Amino acid sequence: MRDVAVVGVGLSKHVSKRRDVNIAELVWEAVSAAYEDAGLTPGEVDGVITGNMPAFEGVNLPECWGAGHWGTYRKPLLRITTGGTTGGSVGHGAFYAVASGLFDTVIAIAFEKQSDGDSTAGLNTVILADIAALLGFGVDPSLLLAFGGGAVGIAVYQASSYMKSSGCTTHHLDKVSVLCRTNAAKNPHAHLQQPGLTPDDVAKTDLMQYPLRFGHVCPASDGACAMILTTGERARKLTDRPAYIRSVASCSDEGALIGIGGSGTLNVDPGRQESCKLAAARAYEHAGIKDPRNEIDLAEPYAPFAHQLLMFYERLLLCDEGEAPAVLNSGSMEMAGELPVCPSGGVISTNAIGASALERIAEAAMQIMGRAGEHQVQKDVHKAVAHGWGGMVNLNVVAVLADTPRG
Amino acid sequence: MEYKEETTSIQGTWPLEQWRWKHETSVLAKKFLEALKDKKIIGLKCPGCGLVYVPPKPYCRCLSIPDEWVEVKDTAVITTYTFTGSWSFGGRLEGTGAPLVIAGVMYDGSDTQTLAILDGVDPDDVAVGKRTRVKWPENPQGGINDIMHSELI
Repeated sequence: MRDVAVVGVGLSKHVSKRRDVNIAELVWEAVSAAYEDAGLTPGEVDGVITGNMPAFEGVNLPECWGAGHWGTYRKPLLRITTGGTTGGSVGHGAFYAVASGLFDTVIAIAFEKQSDGDSTAGLNTVILADIAALLGFGVDPSLLLAFGGGAVGIAVYQASSYMKSSGCTTHHLDKVSVLCRTNAAKNPHAHLQQPGLTPDDVAKTDLMQYPLRFGHVCPASDGACAMILTTGERARKLTDRPAYIRSVASCSDEGALIGIGGSGTLNVDPGRQESCKLAAARAYEHAGIKDPRNEIDLAEPYAPFAHQLLMFYERLLLCDEGEAPAVLNSGSMEMAGELPVCPSGGVISTNAIGASALERIAEAAMQIMGRAGEHQVQKDVHKAVAHGWGGMVNLNVVAVLADTPRG
Repeated sequence: MEYKEETTSIQGTWPLEQWRWKHETSVLAKKFLEALKDKKIIGLKCPGCGLVYVPPKPYCRCLSIPDEWVEVKDTAVITTYTFTGSWSFGGRLEGTGAPLVIAGVMYDGSDTQTLAILDGVDPDDVAVGKRTRVKWPENPQGGINDIMHSELI
């Protein structure tokens, strides 16, 4: 297996409604920035890995109308779509392409322009398989709203379960939002930038659905991310400090929208996320990391909902289960802390669905390369973990990055 | 980021009501639903690890095939819960009175959880670990709606 490194990252500006550009132009913002960051031109890339959730925009087959616009005309192309983890899976696909020796240099592109479509309609296509199972048990379709209610309607059950098992309180949720949104204020690409936000401000926002308030939940963003990956050898010629992707791992639980599954989706506790622990353990092992708690310098967990930042910090094996609320209180997750978490502001601040999990890898790479600008953390980042979560509350993808190859 | 002038949006509608999907009830579901008519909740037990699946499931996480039908109770323990806020149902419930309380419940004798609406309860009285009982309709119809409503006990 060959060494793989990130040599260029590009992000578009993320806001609720990018009415100034169409989808292809929005993506080009990120793609052109990635080429510029890498010091490469489209002609120097051998292949394209791309993904989004077409149902969110309401237009399918993006390669038909996007490939030419993104400088990827006549290149081999692979499209990957795995729900909220789409961007992570795109990053993994790009890693495999280079690690396998089949491609030397590839570009990973992930995006979502949610304002062009209807996010709830998009989510409904994701959960349609489970809805089909529910209908098979004779559920009155009008009751389905009670079980879905969009992504929040799923996350609330996970939040209640996690809070009971960990001792996480609503005050911890408020503090997570403050951590992320004040970090986001230093990230020019972030959507919700709230400098000076306090836990009291978050606690005063409307209750969406217990236990989550508006302040605990991500926005719907328009945005794109692109990342250029190449071999370790070529990376060292392009930059003094490439970010090596040491390993990737992806693992799925059974569907965990607790519902009347029965035809294949078991009603597992949505707060357990065993697949995240399995993927993390595998990724650390492949990366040559024996003691993640002491070796990992920075984490970008995928947390569109406040409780998930703590839950996935635990499931990424960075502390004991139930310990993350205390770690949050200790200040170690802050930008100047021992193990900064989501210095980018994370998904709770910026969520262009298909792009979000690629942005976790991209942000970890930028921190290792020292290119994060105002949200660059104080400590030197040698090793970082990037995570994605999605599918039917079941899929977890993990990537481990470092400033040196695996050796 | 330099913002240009706005793009042009072309308005249009595409009525999706004309499309129809059809989903079949599984063989296992049929037996499960038939039992509800007698106010009985049944599930499948795995011969490999002993887990009881309610509703029934054709395979187990231990990779064995659950094959023994067992009856479980209509009392359950709450595993998780939520209640509706201002955004639930896209905000459509706002101003309609008491919040809707929905809980994950694990029926006594079962190892899996399912959702139930808790009728007539104050959200403050609900907690993980509390117990519930199914509020059966007078004449169960053999649909999952027969066990959709529970009350705290």
